[in-house]
Amino acid sequence: MSDATLLVLMSTVSTGLILGAIFSLVAAGVTIVYGCVWLPNASNGQFFLLAALAAWSFTASLGWGSAAAVVAVIALGVALSLLLERVLVRRLYDVPNRNIAYFVLTLGLTQIMSGIFSLTYGRWSDQFTLPPLLTGITMWGPFPMPNNRLAVLVISAVLLAALFWLLRRTRYGRALRAVFQNREAAALRGVDVHGVYRFSFVLGSVVIFMGGVLFALAYSFDLTVAWTMSVTAFAIMIVGGPGSVAGALVVGLVFGFTQAVVSIFASPTMATFSYLAAMLAMLLIKPTGLFNR
Amino acid sequence: MDAGLLRSAGFRAGIVLAVLALAAPFLLSGNRYIAFILGMTFINVLWASGMNLAYGYVGLMPLMFAGVAGIAAYAMIHLTRAAGWPFWLATPAASAFAAAVGVVLGLPSLRLKGFYFTLCSLVIQSVLTLAFIYFPAYTNGDTGISQVAPPEWFGGPLHGAAFDFVLAAAAVIGVALVALIVPSGLGQRFIAIREDDVLAEAVGIGITRYKILAFIIVSLYAAVGGCFYATYVGFVSPRAFDVLVSLNVWLMVAFGGRGTVLGPVIGAVILAPIPYLLQDLQGLRDILDGVLIVLVILAMPGGIYGELRRWRSRRARAAGRELAEQRA
Repeated sequence: MSDATLLVLMSTVSTGLILGAIFSLVAAGVTIVYGCVWLPNASNGQFFLLAALAAWSFTASLGWGSAAAVVAVIALGVALSLLLERVLVRRLYDVPNRNIAYFVLTLGLTQIMSGIFSLTYGRWSDQFTLPPLLTGITMWGPFPMPNNRLAVLVISAVLLAALFWLLRRTRYGRALRAVFQNREAAALRGVDVHGVYRFSFVLGSVVIFMGGVLFALAYSFDLTVAWTMSVTAFAIMIVGGPGSVAGALVVGLVFGFTQAVVSIFASPTMATFSYLAAMLAMLLIKPTGLFNR
Repeated sequence: MDAGLLRSAGFRAGIVLAVLALAAPFLLSGNRYIAFILGMTFINVLWASGMNLAYGYVGLMPLMFAGVAGIAAYAMIHLTRAAGWPFWLATPAASAFAAAVGVVLGLPSLRLKGFYFTLCSLVIQSVLTLAFIYFPAYTNGDTGISQVAPPEWFGGPLHGAAFDFVLAAAAVIGVALVALIVPSGLGQRFIAIREDDVLAEAVGIGITRYKILAFIIVSLYAAVGGCFYATYVGFVSPRAFDVLVSLNVWLMVAFGGRGTVLGPVIGAVILAPIPYLLQDLQGLRDILDGVLIVLVILAMPGGIYGELRRWRSRRARAAGRELAEQRA
């Protein structure tokens, strides 16, 4: 294999892995909340963008280091999702067919947030770049891998592993999965259902925030990333199976590689187009998705 | 008991509103800017009435509404420009085409329920928007098509107050059709499907058939409105038919009062002028729309008209109780 081919191949693999890990994180955040609270968060893309923009503000305006910005954004994510839960989400916990009400509610949130962003950040700049977490480049054979992107990849992988551990091995995770499967039975066994709802909404939102920060660390971005991410996360959730975190992981990686490959031969928009097609096909053929929750 | 009374009161209100709507273009013809906003409001009244049939009466939320309007508008422009058809022939043809496309796209999703149908329609809308942008042969892409010719009208091009009057007439006809459909057997079957589709199926209503029928009617409303929009504004681009437009029309229905004939009219009259009053502040408009959506979902599911009716019936009941207490 010639060096040029190897280079393209390795760059595709590294982009695919990073994008795939971030897609998986965001989709896992969306799917946890949908599986548990029945809340399809259409504003996940705006949460993602908010995290990225906040990190940009902390570093560019306040002059913080990237690591401090990441911690601050996560704290912001916790605070914001607790606030949203208290003010908006809580009111619909016991409404029948609440998924459609939530969906429209989050579409409204999307519009509010995109309006705020276009009035503020949209006027300041049209391309946002964060200072790297780590500097320097490591050579992998002929392929130069920036240490920063390697760090992003490692952090994403660790976060995904931590998420799995949380859901599989801890008391909170078990309670959450119990509510996933049967809300009434879980309530009868002494699970505080509303508490689990709040926990999963906050957990899901924070995971989406982390995805946004990691994306911002690895790539420069603009305001349109919100819409693309929203479509992608929903497509992953539907194809992987709503409520299935394993599905989000597998399909997220597949979509990440799709994006990396398609971006070489055609535009990233074509990748978005293919996600939409995949989601549509899945909705029509098997709305429960590839993986069981 | 007082349903007949309510209906006749509604009927009289409807006649008054129709006369007002038809007279308004001439009363406001002095100021072209105001008259233009009025014309756009009529198009939105037509759209909201169509959306109301789907969302208010059948319980479907077709977010590809604007996409269907876009297909019709582009098809109409193509027919008038390339094939030389007159507007009044091209519009029915383009509308039938758009409705057919809408049904073909929407048919598989009609068996999905609630959220899944809405999500599906949102996906279809996104695909249509991307198609408008990336297949520029018919749409001229993001640049859009400018100088769309106005319809012909007794020899000359339709413009000014006459165009506004035609739009008013279209809006009045659109609302009147909904008012005719609702009390009919068809409308009652729609409502039965909205209230409980399992029960509706059990009493022998072919749900899918009626959903398809509703879908065709809604698509026709979207399409006719889209054709009028294209000629009235004189410019179309993919942005004119994107998901925000669908959502905005939905908001008019939900904010005004879903499942009532007058509610969506009220919603459209209040919300349609806002974009033109906040012309340079797209962001502010988005925020306002978003806040209204959140408000409708959380605080007033009946919309303005629905809440008003509830408040009035509560007050009437309270007055009745008071009267009874006084007599006792």
